[in-house]
Amino acid sequence: MKNAEKIEIDRRYCKGCMLCKYICPCDVFEPGQTRSDLDYLMPQPIRIENCRVCGLCESNCPDMVLTVFAKEKRKENQ
Amino acid sequence: MNPLGEKYLRKEFLPFLFCPGCGDGMIVQAFLQAVDDLGCIDDLALTAGIGCSAWIGVYMNVDILKVLHGRAIPAAIGLKATQPSRKVVTFTGDGDCLAIGGNHLLHAARRNIDMTVVMVNNQIYAMTGGQVAPSTVVGSKTQTTPYGNIEKQLDGCKIALAAGATMVSRWSTAHLKPLIKTFKNALNHKGFSYIEIMSQCPVQTGRYLLGSGSPQFNLQWLKDHCVKEEDPSRWLEVESQGKIPVGDFLRIEQPEFMEEVQRMNQRVKEEQGKGGDR
Ligand SMILES: Cc1ncc(C[n+]2csc(CCOP(=O)(O)OP(=O)(O)O)c2C)c(N)n1
Ligand code: SF4
Ligand code: SF4
Ligand SMILES: [Mg+2]
Repeated sequence: MKNAEKIEIDRRYCKGCMLCKYICPCDVFEPGQTRSDLDYLMPQPIRIENCRVCGLCESNCPDMVLTVFAKEKRKENQ
Repeated sequence: MNPLGEKYLRKEFLPFLFCPGCGDGMIVQAFLQAVDDLGCIDDLALTAGIGCSAWIGVYMNVDILKVLHGRAIPAAIGLKATQPSRKVVTFTGDGDCLAIGGNHLLHAARRNIDMTVVMVNNQIYAMTGGQVAPSTVVGSKTQTTPYGNIEKQLDGCKIALAAGATMVSRWSTAHLKPLIKTFKNALNHKGFSYIEIMSQCPVQTGRYLLGSGSPQFNLQWLKDHCVKEEDPSRWLEVESQGKIPVGDFLRIEQPEFMEEVQRMNQRVKEEQGKGGDR
């Protein structure tokens, strides 16, 4: 199964619409306390360990601010 | 900015002027995904009218003519006539395309001009503050219909079909995957493509028509109300349940206007060369 290394949210342009939280099938996001440069409260990927790198949050983000980085695949025995 | 945005957006124009959670930004991304899949960014030339939706093309790093309200389609026809090798795409709204620009839609479709119209239907004049549009459902209270809209709705897909468009689809921002596929088909279609997208406008449509300004609520509304039905004989039934049929409705090949013009010119030249008495 795929996992995420990190989920980046570009604070310059995020408008805190929270559609990522609504879209995500794995309940990764919650509203956070940090404000973006546009002064909106940004989402936080607090349960990133749940992420399956489906890409839905990235492709649905209306401001194209979200990037999901997949963990490099490791060999089974490592 | 995600990698698609890094690759194709005009950074100096950011952020998008759209309100938080607006569907228009999702359409920017879906369209760019289709363009990226086809690798055709350098072939594009865009036009747009006036309205929130008309800004969709402005953020893409592509040549664009941003013209008067309602006149995006005639501008596109001129562009296609002078730059026939370009893939010409028009971004327009339900007001821009069906109200002030309605006549242009009819005749571009009738002539089967090789271009793509991306019509963003949020069922309202959003940019100007939520006035009634030809696409607004009967009974809706808007800024200009405080006692409820008494006018019947105009359906852009039915009009495009009746007028002679050779590709007609409708999707919504809750259907991004099929929408991207449809964009790709439209960009490769030789003839007039009309792609309508039901899109959430939480600020105007949401507040006035649907009773909630929440982006989540508005996207869910589209998911619940846009149902796939590609058989026009079943549309009445779908509509009687308050739903909106979506899908790929038509894709056929027919003689295209610009090619017909060339063919006619060639024929006339040949006839004159033969020494006819014209
Ligand atoms: C000739 C002219 N008439 C009226 C206006 C005012 N106006 C600007 S946008 C608009 C409606 C836009 O509605 P729509 O095309 O649905 O776009 P939306 O903002 O909903 O995406 C109107 C009436 C104008 N700019 N120019
Ligand atoms: S990639 Fe998919 S699973 Fe991961 S956070 Fe985004 S929507 Fe959720
Ligand atoms: S008014 Fe509506 S359509 Fe216009 S940017 Fe805001 S949410 Fe989008
Ligand atoms: Mg509109």
